[in-house]
Amino acid sequence: MTTSVELTWVSALRAGLASDMVHDDADTLERHSRDSAPFSPAGTPAVVVTPETAEQVRHVLRVAHAHGVPVVPQGARTGLAGAANADDGCIVLSLLRMNRILEIDRGNRLVRCEPGVTNRGLSDAVAAHGLFFPPDPASWNDCTIGGNIAVGAGGLCCVKYGVTADYVLGLSVVLADGELVRTGRRTVKGVAGYDLTRLFVGSEGTLGVIVEATLSLRPAPGPSLAMLAQFPSATAAGEAVAAIIGRGHVPSALELMDQVTTRAVADVGHPMLSGDAAATLIVECDDRDPAAEVAAIAELCRTAGAVAVTVAADQEESKRVLDARRLVLPALQRQAASLPGRPTAFIEDVAVPRTRLAEFIDRIALIAAEHDLYISTVGHAGDGNLHPTVVFDQADPSAFARAERAYDAIMEAGLALGGTITGEHGVGILKREWLRRELDPGALRIQQGIKNLLDPEGVLNPGKVLA
Amino acid sequence: MTPATSLDSLLRVLPEGRVVTDPDVTDSYARDRTFLTPGRALGVVLARTRDDVVATMRWATEHRVPVVPRGAGTGLAGGATAVEGGLLLSLARMTDIRELSPADEIAVVEPGVINADLDRAARAHGLMYAPDPSSYEISTIGGNLATNAGGLRCVKYGVTRDSTLGLEVVLPDGRVLNTGRRTVKGVTGYDLTGLFVGSEGTLGVITAATVRLQRAPAAPPATVAAEFPTLRQAAEAVAAVIAAGCRPSLLELLDRATLKAIDDWRNIGLDPDTAAMLIAQSDTPDGQAVAERMAALFDECGASFVAASSTPQEADELIGVRRMAYEAKERLGACLVEDVCVPRSRLPEMISAIEAAAVRHDVLICTVAHAGDGNLHPVFVFDHGLPEPPPQVWAAADEVFRAALDLGGTLTGEHGVGLLKRRWLDLETGPVGREVQLGIKQVFDPLGIMNPGKAIQN
Ligand SMILES: Cc1cc2nc3c(=O)[nH]c(=O)nc-3n(C[C@H](O)[C@H](O)[C@H](O)COP(=O)(O)OP(=O)(O)OC[C@H]3O[C@@H](n4cnc5c(N)ncnc54)[C@H](O)[C@@H]3O)c2cc1C
Ligand SMILES: Cc1cc2nc3c(=O)[nH]c(=O)nc-3n(C[C@H](O)[C@H](O)[C@H](O)COP(=O)(O)OP(=O)(O)OC[C@H]3O[C@@H](n4cnc5c(N)ncnc54)[C@H](O)[C@@H]3O)c2cc1C
Repeated sequence: MTTSVELTWVSALRAGLASDMVHDDADTLERHSRDSAPFSPAGTPAVVVTPETAEQVRHVLRVAHAHGVPVVPQGARTGLAGAANADDGCIVLSLLRMNRILEIDRGNRLVRCEPGVTNRGLSDAVAAHGLFFPPDPASWNDCTIGGNIAVGAGGLCCVKYGVTADYVLGLSVVLADGELVRTGRRTVKGVAGYDLTRLFVGSEGTLGVIVEATLSLRPAPGPSLAMLAQFPSATAAGEAVAAIIGRGHVPSALELMDQVTTRAVADVGHPMLSGDAAATLIVECDDRDPAAEVAAIAELCRTAGAVAVTVAADQEESKRVLDARRLVLPALQRQAASLPGRPTAFIEDVAVPRTRLAEFIDRIALIAAEHDLYISTVGHAGDGNLHPTVVFDQADPSAFARAERAYDAIMEAGLALGGTITGEHGVGILKREWLRRELDPGALRIQQGIKNLLDPEGVLNPGKVLA
Repeated sequence: MTPATSLDSLLRVLPEGRVVTDPDVTDSYARDRTFLTPGRALGVVLARTRDDVVATMRWATEHRVPVVPRGAGTGLAGGATAVEGGLLLSLARMTDIRELSPADEIAVVEPGVINADLDRAARAHGLMYAPDPSSYEISTIGGNLATNAGGLRCVKYGVTRDSTLGLEVVLPDGRVLNTGRRTVKGVTGYDLTGLFVGSEGTLGVITAATVRLQRAPAAPPATVAAEFPTLRQAAEAVAAVIAAGCRPSLLELLDRATLKAIDDWRNIGLDPDTAAMLIAQSDTPDGQAVAERMAALFDECGASFVAASSTPQEADELIGVRRMAYEAKERLGACLVEDVCVPRSRLPEMISAIEAAAVRHDVLICTVAHAGDGNLHPVFVFDHGLPEPPPQVWAAADEVFRAALDLGGTLTGEHGVGLLKRRWLDLETGPVGREVQLGIKQVFDPLGIMNPGKAIQN
């Protein structure tokens, strides 16, 4: 049933959009109600809109602003913090149809694109020009550039190449009242005025809707080689990480898997992995002489106490080494599938100073034992960014409650080690309460002030990031 | 409120010796390195601790007195210029390196630490502090942060922002705000660290920073220098080096006017047909091979002379020539230093535009560029005796700014807007951008006492 008030704004919305851009069938509404995070509440949108131009996005925001209707911007809904979850009666603004690459400029190594391009689509397009867009979240096949920018996404090769924020030169953003603002520039450097670009990066759709991005690129890296080392303890693996960084190696991936993860991947049948090791390190190098570099790193791993080291001799073997990391998610899904009810594998995201990595992994193992839970931890070790993944049955109230408590304990431990509650997935709904724990009250007040400034009516993704 | 009484109350809340009102002393804290005439300041606070800064800001809020924070006063945009009736707040004596962690590759420093001192402290552990403005021996980390300074190495290692993880800031009302983190990655809440970097002292006073250190290259860099018969050819050589993926750790361009100024001063044996010089370095383990590739590209682009330096001393001499550029120009006259930045591929056009502006307005413009970043410093030289640039200099500068914007560039790559560039800022940010900028200023500084009149157009 729709009230006449709703009809007013919905018809106003329709007036500026093509008929196939406004959706209110139950199926579409349901599909767009949440992202990929459990725990966080989600409502049912009144409509889902799929505009194709910035002007249409402006129209949507003008209508929403005038009628005080909340707008939830969405990319591919692969987010893991509930940041793209719908509110009851809101407008879900899907950017998926704005998926054009507008310009690839080889000379200046930059690309200009719309927000709905997938990470993979962009990467492939620029690769055809010998260029490279490094941020590579594991969800790259589906997730959008707009979503990557809005959360400040990371990925495997960030240890060497940096995160999404490091590649955003400029943005076009539609503000809450429908005004369009361009931030940043096409140049490598620039300091004119406050850095609004950085402000929008990571703002999770709460300050404006990104309708275009200018991103910097790198030349494609040379061929890479990988290696894998297994350790008798997390501490030994942590020492290897410290030694690798300390010697000045700059691997293009430096991933750590704890005991539980190692076993899960070995169980799905990875030939190079022994399921008994306490920790596994996977390293990839793409510098000029990757063979020499992986050999040197292998030596450092042995010195740190590695029990088994496999160095790839060629690209083929490298691929197989890296498969061990790629298999983590399927392995955990298989683990989940063995559970009854509504099983899920919930990927957490905490970052600690690199030196506290081993300590953190050991704490997580304790937390798992205490709460009688299956927790697998993998991490971008070079960045100190870990993803503890809790596999549990959401339909089992006891498991659900234990998972929630364990999740709190993990956040707590991360903060206690000088860390941060999210390295790359964002705050969304999931970590709103934790944001208050991490930020001091002054910072919170300023954050709220910025939100009020850019969205005085509170229509943009309300209730996310700042409660 | 008379200045005398108001400072009495400030004296009471600060330890002995922190406040100086002797005009001879305050004058030496009233300017940066621009020609701008400062306003008369009430006095200078020489802060030694964060608490000094807190007390000062509380007092300033209570009495509605403008405060101009400053580091070493080496700025080139007027950011640290005293405002009439305001207080100067020097952070230059807060020089502690509170922590240097080689394992986490971070340092926690106070704002008055000189850039090169931090770099030297890091080098003792095989690390470096990468951002290195030419003023690295004289400018402070606080000033570098407040202007988001660049430098010679940033073509490879990034600007100050890229090395900043977290800040401790005293807000205009005296409250202390911590932003950012100690971890390499993090996305908790809006990026306030990014807002403070480059805010030119208009949002708050930086009293400590957690900065990222990077591995220092194992071997000294390999260096090549080349001379070109035209500026355009030099600019094309820059594009060729970038396109070839050489990733130089330094790529600097000097035009003839600059070389001549240096030659007149230090006699570097300048060839009469040289219109521009490029200096490039590579600091990778195979740096020598990369340097040779760059040398070959310079040749292909029409260099009249190409030389690789075989010893670190020779390399240091070449970089020394680059670092002499500013002083050499100051000997010629008063300088208006500009700082436009264009997409790298537009460098040749930008250089042509600068040359054309110099001829059209009959102004001496000496240009150096962090060429690998597309960042140019055209220096407009005018008579020492003049209090400010004559109209033809402003006319030429105006043309240069507009050309940069037309080429998809920006008014300022690393020096900041300060007082000098405010009137052009609107051209770049547009009305909505300006409104948002003003709104942000309001959020942090509702009374407008923090370095008023600088950095943003109001
Ligand atoms: C299997 C799996 C693996 C993952 N691996 C990684 C990983 O390695 N690294 C990592 O960082 N993340 C990872 N993620 C998380 C997720 O993929 C990222 O957060 C991604 O950036 C989300 O993009 P999206 O297009 O799906 O955005 P959504 O989930 O749709 O939205 C995310 C947020 O961005 C906002 N938003 C989206 N588009 C816009 C826009 N145009 N303007 C304004 N706001 C917008 C939304 O409102 C929401 O707040 C993973 C997720 C899954 C499911
Ligand atoms: C010879 C020479 C070469 C130069 N080369 C370069 C170069 O290569 N790259 C480059 O980027 N710049 C260069 N500069 C410009 C200048 O050195 C930089 O802008 C530098 O960052 C200023 O540092 P400072 O300590 O002198 O700051 P100041 O000049 O004292 O202040 C600069 C601005 O920062 C603010 N500020 C200072 N400290 C704080 C603080 N703690 N908290 C809040 N605000 C603060 C001031 O209010 C002012 O707006 C050069 C200058 C000279 C004279």
